[in-house]
Amino acid sequence: MTEPEWPLLPAPDPAEPTAAAVPTPEVAAPEVADAPVGPTCPSCGRPIDPAAWFCEACGSPLVPTAPTPAAPAPGPDAPSAQTRRLGVRASEQARCSACGGTIGSDGYCQTCGAKAPSPRDHFSASPADWVGGVCDRGVQHYRNEDALALWADGDRAVLVVCDGVSTSVDSDVAALAGAERARDVLAGRAALGQDASDEVLAQALAEAVAQANQAVIGTTAADSTNAASATFAAAVVVGNRVHYANLGDSRVYLLGPAQRLLLSLDDSMAQAFIAEGMPRAEAEALPRAHAITKWLGRDAVDTTPRTGVQEVTGPGWVLVCSDGLWNYASGPDELAAQLDAALATTSDPVAAAQLLVEWANAQGGHDNVTVALARVPAPTDGATGAPGTAVSLGAAAGPDEAAGPEEKESPTHG
Amino acid sequence: MAEFTSAVYQNEFLPDGGTDVNAIVTITCSGAGSAGRTGSGDAGEIVVVDTSGSMGVANMNAAKQAAMIALDNILDGTYFAVVAGNHKAYLAYPMVQTGAGMVRMDSRTRAEARRAISFFRAEGGTAMGTWLNLCKALFASIPGGLAQKHVILLTDGENHNETAAQLDNAIANCAGDFQVDARGVGVDWKVAEIRKIAQAMLGTVDIIGDPGQMSTVFAELMRNSMARGVANAELRVWIPQGAQVMFIRQVSPTVEDLTHRGTPVNQLTMSYPTGAWADEERDYHVAVRLAAKSVGQEQLAARVQLAVGTDLLTQGLVKAKWSSDTNLTAQINPEVAHYTGQAELAQVIQEGLAAKAVGDEATATTKLGRAVQLATESGNAEATSKLRKVVDIADARTGTVKLKKAVDKVDEMALDTASTKTTRIRG
Repeated sequence: MTEPEWPLLPAPDPAEPTAAAVPTPEVAAPEVADAPVGPTCPSCGRPIDPAAWFCEACGSPLVPTAPTPAAPAPGPDAPSAQTRRLGVRASEQARCSACGGTIGSDGYCQTCGAKAPSPRDHFSASPADWVGGVCDRGVQHYRNEDALALWADGDRAVLVVCDGVSTSVDSDVAALAGAERARDVLAGRAALGQDASDEVLAQALAEAVAQANQAVIGTTAADSTNAASATFAAAVVVGNRVHYANLGDSRVYLLGPAQRLLLSLDDSMAQAFIAEGMPRAEAEALPRAHAITKWLGRDAVDTTPRTGVQEVTGPGWVLVCSDGLWNYASGPDELAAQLDAALATTSDPVAAAQLLVEWANAQGGHDNVTVALARVPAPTDGATGAPGTAVSLGAAAGPDEAAGPEEKESPTHG
Repeated sequence: MAEFTSAVYQNEFLPDGGTDVNAIVTITCSGAGSAGRTGSGDAGEIVVVDTSGSMGVANMNAAKQAAMIALDNILDGTYFAVVAGNHKAYLAYPMVQTGAGMVRMDSRTRAEARRAISFFRAEGGTAMGTWLNLCKALFASIPGGLAQKHVILLTDGENHNETAAQLDNAIANCAGDFQVDARGVGVDWKVAEIRKIAQAMLGTVDIIGDPGQMSTVFAELMRNSMARGVANAELRVWIPQGAQVMFIRQVSPTVEDLTHRGTPVNQLTMSYPTGAWADEERDYHVAVRLAAKSVGQEQLAARVQLAVGTDLLTQGLVKAKWSSDTNLTAQINPEVAHYTGQAELAQVIQEGLAAKAVGDEATATTKLGRAVQLATESGNAEATSKLRKVVDIADARTGTVKLKKAVDKVDEMALDTASTKTTRIRG
């Protein structure tokens, strides 16, 4: 072992008291006064934690003489996601669909950085074989702010679609909270054995909108300067009757060989112009066509839904969707043609909804796309509407919107 | 254990075909504790005093007093040594010829070291490379090594007794091993020379115009160093495969370009040294170039992490989201804009002073005029007041200035050393 030879500062003057006269301190050994009482590292002699597997000072491996202390239960002071230790167990690691790399705990690929698709970006629901839907991010939006919530039992079904307004904060969370709350309210009121009269269901739809509004507001940060907001469209199918409600520009259609109806009426600038006599195609092409005049959220002015009920006269489908679909096929005839094309290859509502979503994405997917379908009239005793008995929409026989559903204001907002 | 948190400031939205992502990542350390007392290992401090002949009696006496006050601010138990430097480097304390060249601070060793300092006399030349090399050997002489190593270096003159290559070799030999805060007293030293040492050694550079301030400066430097309880942290930057780092710079509290100081951790991650941390905030500007993706796609542009040893203590995510909405993509993030301006400010001050030094008045006027404009726009009052001592400002908004006829050398050097200090845009 070679020791450095230190260049000492020469003594200033032999006559003066020299620096060398100062007693040289003993520095070779560690100071005894500081000797720790606890266990020490056999390699470097520094104090160690009796539970440690490695010396913190020199890194030498140790055999612990005490058990590892239990991790404290996470309390209110537990580190946030931002400051939590990183790293993920191998068993939790997912593969990147873009490059095959490993997805990190932060949700991005460790190799190419691609964002791992979140379950929120694309999901489907199928509470019964005659009811199903798909909710998709689309192509051009980086987040899915649409929401879908379905329920079915016996001959009854609930379909709810909300479309979060993309200029507001956290509208993806708000839209889903609103849709699910409304679905739960409606499912409770439409459950088998309950009185499903028109009056009761109209009341239930109004209540569902009010509850959905509360759910949206509940997800909005108190200090948000851009409160989350969402549209609302819902259909409750009971046997051969369709009860519906909407706010904003998400829609409810009834599409079959006998009836091709747009049941809902948009709360939008385009609809305002249509009401004044402008042709639909022209009004929906206006720059501000998509500006909605009613919505759910803390800054909503009017959350009174437009509700109605329609009797189903022949086999067909109730379709509830966001504008991500109807942007590419607004009129009931156009949309029926696309649904018919989907039904030519499948009779399953989820598969058909998926085909419609793919079709919308193929048209550009400029917005999130949500499609919910229920075969009508609803099966009685689960016997009708069996898979394979696809209902072709056939040639247009029924009148367009002119036939008009019965409309009424919500009874709670007379 | 210290807690680190991070925050990312950026406009995530890129236009169709956009490739360049800029973000400011703020990393905050709290609960740092004190140097050498957090269980991560011992700390060592070396005070290096220039004892060259040019120091003269007045500067030498002020330096002796400042060095003693620096010792007073070293926590007991910390390893320390005192080096006297001229054209050679001497171990002034501890007075040992072999073995460990540093001792732990206590009341006895502090008194002995003060006495050793009292014998300093100004004579000989200047060879700072030898000073640095001696510091490295002294730190290395402690059995088991030190977790945290810091040097305060005082000089008053140019590095006459070494070639530039000798100094560069010494800097290369020592960089990454310990940190150096360097201070120049008087006006006969070269800012560029000392800045080169401080930057490579992750420290600071400043001028002490008045020898009377020396003790205050040394006390503060040592107190700051003792407050750095996190020994050696590194900034790690991950970028996606196929992406490219355009630059990485620290932008607060000072501008330091880190782009070419990285060492690879793995194929996609580089590690950049950041030295020791106290309870503080530092801002980093990360610029990454990606392959463009189609509108509606999102991807991660960088993971910016702070690591101590093998522990990743915090991570900031820099993202890219391609959008066709020009309202989103056209916005420039205010933090990014601010620090882009501050980095340019540092650059034009240094370039302007360099041009002035070689008599290129036209370039100097343009550069310093731009500096005045940038300093005013960003509310950098310190830079504005220092610029005011070097140029006459006709119109700060347009950067119209005239070089002052007579400039005090101290003011010019103070402007130069302070050029890299930035202001923050937030609270």
